[in-house]
Amino acid sequence: MRHFRTLLAHELRTALLSWNTWAAAGLFLALMGGIHFFALLEGSRIASERTPVEATLWFFWLPLLCVLPLLTMRSFAEERRSGTLSALLTTPASTAAVVWAKFLAAWTVWVTFWLLFTLFPLLVQQRLGTPGDTRLSDPSVLWGGLCFIAVSGLLHVSIGILCSCVTRSSALAALLAFISLLALTAAGGAMESLPVESWAWLGWLHEPAAHLRTFAHLQDFAGGILDSRPIVLYSTGTLLCLGLAVLAVEGQE
Amino acid sequence: MNAATPSPEAAVVAERLTKRYGSLTAIEDLSFSVAPGEIVGFLGPNGAGKSTTMRILSGTMSGTSGRAAIWGVSVALDPAGAKRNMAYMPENNPLPEDMRVEEYLTLRAKLKDVASERVSERVDRVMEDCDLARRAAGRLIGQLSKGFRQRVGIADALLAEPKVVILDEPTIGLDPHQILGIRDLIRSLRGKMAVLISSHILHEVEQVCDKVVIINRGRLVAQGRTEDLRRELLPDCSFTVTTRSDEAALLSACHRSEPAATVTPLPATTAGWNTFRVSLPADSPARETLAAGLAIAGVSLREIAEVRYGLEDIFLAATRRAPTEPRRS
Repeated sequence: MRHFRTLLAHELRTALLSWNTWAAAGLFLALMGGIHFFALLEGSRIASERTPVEATLWFFWLPLLCVLPLLTMRSFAEERRSGTLSALLTTPASTAAVVWAKFLAAWTVWVTFWLLFTLFPLLVQQRLGTPGDTRLSDPSVLWGGLCFIAVSGLLHVSIGILCSCVTRSSALAALLAFISLLALTAAGGAMESLPVESWAWLGWLHEPAAHLRTFAHLQDFAGGILDSRPIVLYSTGTLLCLGLAVLAVEGQE
Repeated sequence: MNAATPSPEAAVVAERLTKRYGSLTAIEDLSFSVAPGEIVGFLGPNGAGKSTTMRILSGTMSGTSGRAAIWGVSVALDPAGAKRNMAYMPENNPLPEDMRVEEYLTLRAKLKDVASERVSERVDRVMEDCDLARRAAGRLIGQLSKGFRQRVGIADALLAEPKVVILDEPTIGLDPHQILGIRDLIRSLRGKMAVLISSHILHEVEQVCDKVVIINRGRLVAQGRTEDLRRELLPDCSFTVTTRSDEAALLSACHRSEPAATVTPLPATTAGWNTFRVSLPADSPARETLAAGLAIAGVSLREIAEVRYGLEDIFLAATRRAPTEPRRS
């Protein structure tokens, strides 16, 4: 545990001092700020059931695909390229401690980005909203959505970490993470839009496919519905990815 | 840290270690040991399997078969336990470019289970020992010269006062002054910790090490003290003779003392004088009387000196020998 704490503190410090993190933060805030601005603009023109915050959160997949790979790509790939991972593994610290420390540091940064995003709706509410009126920024939708981001982020970040474990190239690790996250999100979206249950030969997929509906999970969380199934899905997926990451690191070293 | 651990007979044990990459065998049936407090040179030509062996011993790579143990702890069964007793500096000494020396050593001390209250003291101590304290402590590792980077690597290896230190080419790329400094530092470890050191600079190994282990094509070809290996691998006795006589006259004179003597011409260094190498069998009594015998035979001598075989000659003799030949244990 002492090794894990030491490594986590080191990883957080490294993330804080890395230009990569600041570039990713800039890109994230620009993306989310832009999306929120247009959601507000759209909301002011057309009456919609969705609040601007909800509409903005619906685009969570954009920073997920564009920003998250930037955060995780260097975690192992860069260390393997420079050889510092081998040096790290000559200490009594276990591979699992190294993998978990890097994962938790990346997840913390990812969640911090989203916490920074909350400043946009909060500022809008403060400047333009009236007390008691939640049409501009509904706090329950905002915090529910952020809970979804935090829980699903466990799996998303662990996928990025796993992709970084299998290559020495940071660029390739980012590309692999992009493709994997796109497949996961698109699979969930496709399951929602396709009438899978009505197709006899794919009927058996209906039940397991229901668990992959990422946007439905977001809707549930934002609506205040706490369903244990997505939580189990994301946490077991995380454990699986991190377990594979440990094996990948041990296998290559 | 491990003061209470009883001292085993061997600090490092490699027992029939084998590593295969598909059809390629990197090392095969490699067995040797390093006693506590002993400094051992690990030698072999490029590609002989030195780094592979060191990586297996350090727990950063697993062997295909065989047993590796550090201070009595199996590297395969208890890697963390073995790593607590050992420090390993890999050949290229990878270091994070964006950390400061003191900061890096502090991190490594924590990861190497140095007690929290001793971290600062140990970091200061190794920086002092490795001459980093005044000139490099606060500098970014990425801005350090090769010499200072090697010192950081060695300081890291000494941080937790391990029982065993494994150094893969610690002086590679250093200038003569830096090599001297590192050599003195390694020498100062004698009796305190077992050191396994690989180096291409044989003169340096000869000066620092108590024993050498020589491998070739992944197999052990010789191990032991330099003197013992000299007797085993280069048993004949040779002299360099500078004389005005020609080869035939010298050979004839030598045969009076030792009928099995051979004479080999060497490049002449002074005009008018010829230089030869005279070789005698290992146990020839003429070893003691050759100079007098040549004088009696009328050979005009300018210089006669016994050739002292160095580690380089031993290394060449050992690596020329087929690895399958019987070898020392």
